[in-house]
Amino acid sequence: MEIHRYEKLWFVVSMLLIIGFIATITYGAVGAGIQMVDDEGGTVDPDNIGDYEIRDGVTFEDLQEPQAQHVEGNEYEVAIQAIQFAFIPNPVEVPENSEVTMYITSPDVIHGYKLAGTNVNTMVIPGEMTEITVEFDEPGEYGAVCNEFCGAGHEEMEGILRVVPEDEWEGDA
Amino acid sequence: MGLFVDDYPDEAWVVRAALASSFLALLIGGLMGTIQALHRTGFLQVIENSTYYTVLTLHGVSLVILFTIFFLVGFYQWAITDSLQRPSENIRLTKAWYGLMVLGTLMASIAILGGFTDVTDMSADVLFTFYAPLEAHPLFYLGLATFIIGTWVAGFDWFRSWWAWRKDNPGERTPLRTFMVLTTMLMWYLATIGVAVAVIFFLLPWSLGLVDSVNALLTRTLFWFFGHPVVYFWLMPVYMMWYVILPKLSGGRLFSDPLARIVFVLFLILSVPTGIHHQYLDPGIAEGFKYLAMTNTMFLLLPSLLTAFTVVASMEHGARQRGGTGYFRWLTALPWDKPAFTGMALAGLMFAAAGFSGMVNAGMNLNYLVHNTMWVPGHFHLTVGTAVALTFMAVTYWFLPQITGNKVFSKRLGLWQVVLWFVGMVFMANAMHRVGLGGEPRRTADPFYDGVVFDTALGSISELHFQIALGGVLLTVSLLMFIAHVALTWFDVANRSTPEPEVLPPALSGPEHAPAVLENLRLWTGIAIVLIVLTYTLPLASIISSSGFFGQAGTIVAGMLDLVITVAQPLLEVGP
Amino acid sequence: MSSGTESDVSPDVWDGEIEREIGHDEYDPIGTLGLIAIYFVIIALLWIFMYFVEFLGRGPTVV
Repeated sequence: MEIHRYEKLWFVVSMLLIIGFIATITYGAVGAGIQMVDDEGGTVDPDNIGDYEIRDGVTFEDLQEPQAQHVEGNEYEVAIQAIQFAFIPNPVEVPENSEVTMYITSPDVIHGYKLAGTNVNTMVIPGEMTEITVEFDEPGEYGAVCNEFCGAGHEEMEGILRVVPEDEWEGDA
Repeated sequence: MGLFVDDYPDEAWVVRAALASSFLALLIGGLMGTIQALHRTGFLQVIENSTYYTVLTLHGVSLVILFTIFFLVGFYQWAITDSLQRPSENIRLTKAWYGLMVLGTLMASIAILGGFTDVTDMSADVLFTFYAPLEAHPLFYLGLATFIIGTWVAGFDWFRSWWAWRKDNPGERTPLRTFMVLTTMLMWYLATIGVAVAVIFFLLPWSLGLVDSVNALLTRTLFWFFGHPVVYFWLMPVYMMWYVILPKLSGGRLFSDPLARIVFVLFLILSVPTGIHHQYLDPGIAEGFKYLAMTNTMFLLLPSLLTAFTVVASMEHGARQRGGTGYFRWLTALPWDKPAFTGMALAGLMFAAAGFSGMVNAGMNLNYLVHNTMWVPGHFHLTVGTAVALTFMAVTYWFLPQITGNKVFSKRLGLWQVVLWFVGMVFMANAMHRVGLGGEPRRTADPFYDGVVFDTALGSISELHFQIALGGVLLTVSLLMFIAHVALTWFDVANRSTPEPEVLPPALSGPEHAPAVLENLRLWTGIAIVLIVLTYTLPLASIISSSGFFGQAGTIVAGMLDLVITVAQPLLEVGP
Repeated sequence: MSSGTESDVSPDVWDGEIEREIGHDEYDPIGTLGLIAIYFVIIALLWIFMYFVEFLGRGPTVV
């Protein structure tokens, strides 16, 4: 088969580009430690979300509080229900310099959860428990939006996540 | 050889009918887009927020299913008949699949339009992705299934022509256009398995009340099994136009026929096992499966990158035959006064830009940045909204005379139309990408929140909203110009002389240089199936084993069906 | 379309718009190579910008 030498050159360069992309993403996952939302949270009965056991003796309902619950060190946990057309609880508070594991699920349809201006972004699917861990280093306030169409009223589905300065943190520590 | 319409009047009728359906969908879908562009930027809100989603469903379904696929079947019917030089084996079958597609369209449209009125409970405000548990009227799912069955029969019809041709021409290489049609349809058969299973086994029984829940992640995964390759179903006819028509319009010849075939084989192999890249941020799917989908997707860049070279090289060949010289000065020797050429070239340019935003979408962890923001519709308004739509419109200026026997009404009007589309999309798509980076979600009627603020690095969000609205208005004007122009040509208002038949020049490096193994469609389909099995078996098994076929809230009915499937499964597996 | 040797094209195919025919062996797409090289550089730089500045430079992030 005749392939022009420029075309062969472009083929090689294209492959390098593709491998470069894959390498960058692999670096992000392994080097920068960015994990994908995955099946770690397991499944949940959408009709009985509150009873979902996060670990021994701690249920989804226990963590569904306006302030993140302390686990150990700088680790915290919070549970959020995404429901037509609100996030419960709202607002949610976490302390600065914390590593917060967020459990999010839905009793009705598919929703999304995105903190505007950040890389915190996930799907929320009934029957599945979304489990993500996020580092909040600096105090501030983030707006959360549902970014998957969930029915008439979708555009009203929003929330607030506040990262409270350590000295003002009144929650569990 | 005469005009297509004279040589094959019956086939030309079907081609015209398919194109007419396509343009009607383009008009309706496009006008819905105008409403959205003005509504969500706050400039003109003539509908309620709740109606916005009915409009959005109509916009999506009309444009990415009806406009694109009706155009595809019309164009592919021409490609098969013209390149094999033989009429349909049975024109009644050809008309029958077109009829099925129309029937399916009517059913789904009635369900969607029901959303505009309170007179009936019927509605289908589920958008083009119809993620359960959002529920549409059963007629919507039935219509969709009927439409897809129509496309299956069309593919069979074209294969039949090819089989008959092969019998009459033993040992000859399949003509390039036919080869492209066949590989596209093989890809489509594999891709539509996902949506067919989702609709027939889960969504339709559920919407009819036979089962009362669904496994939302399962139907979503099945949708994306289909939902990514469908974008190649839009693109592959465009690639055919870029490979076989654009070189001729440029005054040159396709640079390499074998390479064009390789590209289509790569699309057949790689289009389907990538769908999970739409689910990078889904819970319930392990990271390893996402990584695998990511690598497949990245390699799917290869056929597009190779196409960029071959197509530009073919244009350069044309420019040099037309007397162009220099490293880049030949660009000025191209026929920029032809709307068909200019539209296709501009569409290709936009596709190069879309390539970049697509690479970002494909970037797994990078997807946290852009997933479900306006960046994503920004991206696909460059791909399907420009690379595909603008190429289809441009090619219409070349194509319409051959299927109607009428000359195009006005070259200048056509030129203005394609340039206006390009300019409108530059404004709209660029601004959409940027508000998306600022975090503004897609698919919302009213992105103005009480407690959420979106920021953009340069300029302001309101300035970008203005660009979206402005782009939307320019696109609307271009759309109306196009529809009017088609009508003026179709009904031959100018009453001009008959056009000349078009001859497509052969490639510089012809099919005889291609290795014979490229003709082995069974082999390529086999490889495609193996890749699909490798990428999808484990994720699907894991989704089903953790939540069952019908989700956790299943009832007795669902449980019984589950039981039937569990019992039936081993029986099916021991089969041949 | 089915056969494609070098010399079997009539210039009529292009409606008399071309000045001279150029065959496969006398044509080097040097302009294409230049254009595509420019595209490559743009894409590579934009990728680095998007990944390392827009994405990794922004917080908070899922870990």
